[in-house]
Amino acid sequence: MDERHSMISVENVKYTYDGAETQALRGVSFDIERGEFVAIVGRNGSGKSTVAKLLNALLIPEEGTVRIDGMDTIDEERTLDIRKKVGVVFQNPDNQIVTTVVEEDVGFGPENLGIPTEQIIRRVHDALEAVDMLSYAKSAPHMLSGGQKQRIAIAGMLAIEPEVLVLDEATAMLDPLGRKKIIDIVNELHSKRGITVIMITQYMEEAVDADRIIVMNDGLIDFTGSPREVFAQGDRLRGIGLDVPVIVGIRDELIAKGLIAPCDVLKAEELAELLCPLLLKN
Amino acid sequence: MPIVVEKLSYTYMQNTANAHTALDDISFTVGDSEFIGLIGHTGSGKSTLIQQLNGLMQPTSGRVLVDGYDMNDKKQRAKGRALIGMAFQYPDYQLFDSTVFADVSFGPRNMKLDEAEVKRLAAEALELVGLDPAEMMEKSPFELSGGQKRRAALAGIIAMRPKYLVLDEPMAGLDPGGRRDVLELIARLRAELGCAVIMVSHSMDDIARSAERIIVLNNGRIRMIGTPEQVFADTAELTEIGLDVPKPMQLAAMLKQRGAAVPDGLYTEESFIEWLGRAVKHA
Repeated sequence: MDERHSMISVENVKYTYDGAETQALRGVSFDIERGEFVAIVGRNGSGKSTVAKLLNALLIPEEGTVRIDGMDTIDEERTLDIRKKVGVVFQNPDNQIVTTVVEEDVGFGPENLGIPTEQIIRRVHDALEAVDMLSYAKSAPHMLSGGQKQRIAIAGMLAIEPEVLVLDEATAMLDPLGRKKIIDIVNELHSKRGITVIMITQYMEEAVDADRIIVMNDGLIDFTGSPREVFAQGDRLRGIGLDVPVIVGIRDELIAKGLIAPCDVLKAEELAELLCPLLLKN
Repeated sequence: MPIVVEKLSYTYMQNTANAHTALDDISFTVGDSEFIGLIGHTGSGKSTLIQQLNGLMQPTSGRVLVDGYDMNDKKQRAKGRALIGMAFQYPDYQLFDSTVFADVSFGPRNMKLDEAEVKRLAAEALELVGLDPAEMMEKSPFELSGGQKRRAALAGIIAMRPKYLVLDEPMAGLDPGGRRDVLELIARLRAELGCAVIMVSHSMDDIARSAERIIVLNNGRIRMIGTPEQVFADTAELTEIGLDVPKPMQLAAMLKQRGAAVPDGLYTEESFIEWLGRAVKHA
């Protein structure tokens, strides 16, 4: 494999939907390296979902280029290779489930890619195991909860054995337990299998564990940085319809009131460690 | 007069092999202009319960009284239903007309009011939710953003002047700014129209900020009912039934574990910060 180029390289991409008066993307550039975990955040309509669709050649840029492991998405001969490399899970699981039996659904992707049957059987088994849904292999997808359906959608992507997993607000419609399960699965795929993860989300809490956050607004990248850098800019985030995680909001209030010194803690455990000495002085 | 839910039970596919009890012996009341938070994990019975409140479904046993109207009785049901405005999770399902204004007019027009009154109610409702009535005469619902759709759907409901607003996950799918706006909007509508609110939400932080009373459903039964202070006091029980605890309470629990004396009831950011300020001074 050629190591000179990034896993994903997006260069000055512009995109306008058919019939729309304004551009959804107005010149976006970023690189994502192999094995990175990147969160993309932005308000409704900021262009972040358009980015997801550009990454597996569902959309082709009207200007600029998108390269996946060096392959330009405009090259139709590489579309299949690109879709083998980049799996995208969308917000509504109902739109992603196509068959009436869970295992058939998970095998649908590799089958379309012409993978031999015995290999498909192994991949379906492994993918269902990874999302903890093996016992539902023979179930009907419509009998599952939203969170379970979304796990099936992720398994369907894993069965393609992609190097990049893109989650486009994949947890937005789930309850806290369902959401946590998806996040745990994604974290494990990233840390244990080294899958490159791009998590597009409106839940700031979900971006805390990313290596890097890309903040989008109005079809452009507003700013990028590590979670500690990005969540140090609460006012800037609120100004573009976003926010900081609740714990960071509390941290900032405590700093503003002079109760703690300026710091960049992000998690409840870290903040508790910091506050304890203040409360246990005597 | 309030909503009174009395010993309500509901079984899907009763008398079949697939019979499933979704609601089991539920009783509570909703007072005038009260704000109730309804929480529970997926499958706990929340959606089934709110469909019972406006008579979309009828109980297998027990009853719902809306301002005294028995929702089991077909004639009284229409009168009770007129008092309840319901907003579902996906606003797309509630918006179907060619313009937003026409959509918002749909309810009042069904109430057989004259056209001038229909227009007045629709315009007023749009203004209340922060959408420009003149602009909405032209605009198709499909041109709206997620947050605007949520507003338009709410306008369609309040145009009918309900006494009770029943909201199923009104902030789902919105960005943080949109969530804040819709939450503030609900509080404002309640203040200006004096309506009661029954809100289903998965966000414990949103519920902690808004609700006066919380009903916790689990497996079709009421597991807890009380003020946020009472309900959130039992962190272990909420966690056990798969629910979150507001973040400030998670933080408080961690401080307790580390030996700090933390009082109960710090479920909002404001109360936590205020307490910490005092505690640090006295430490």
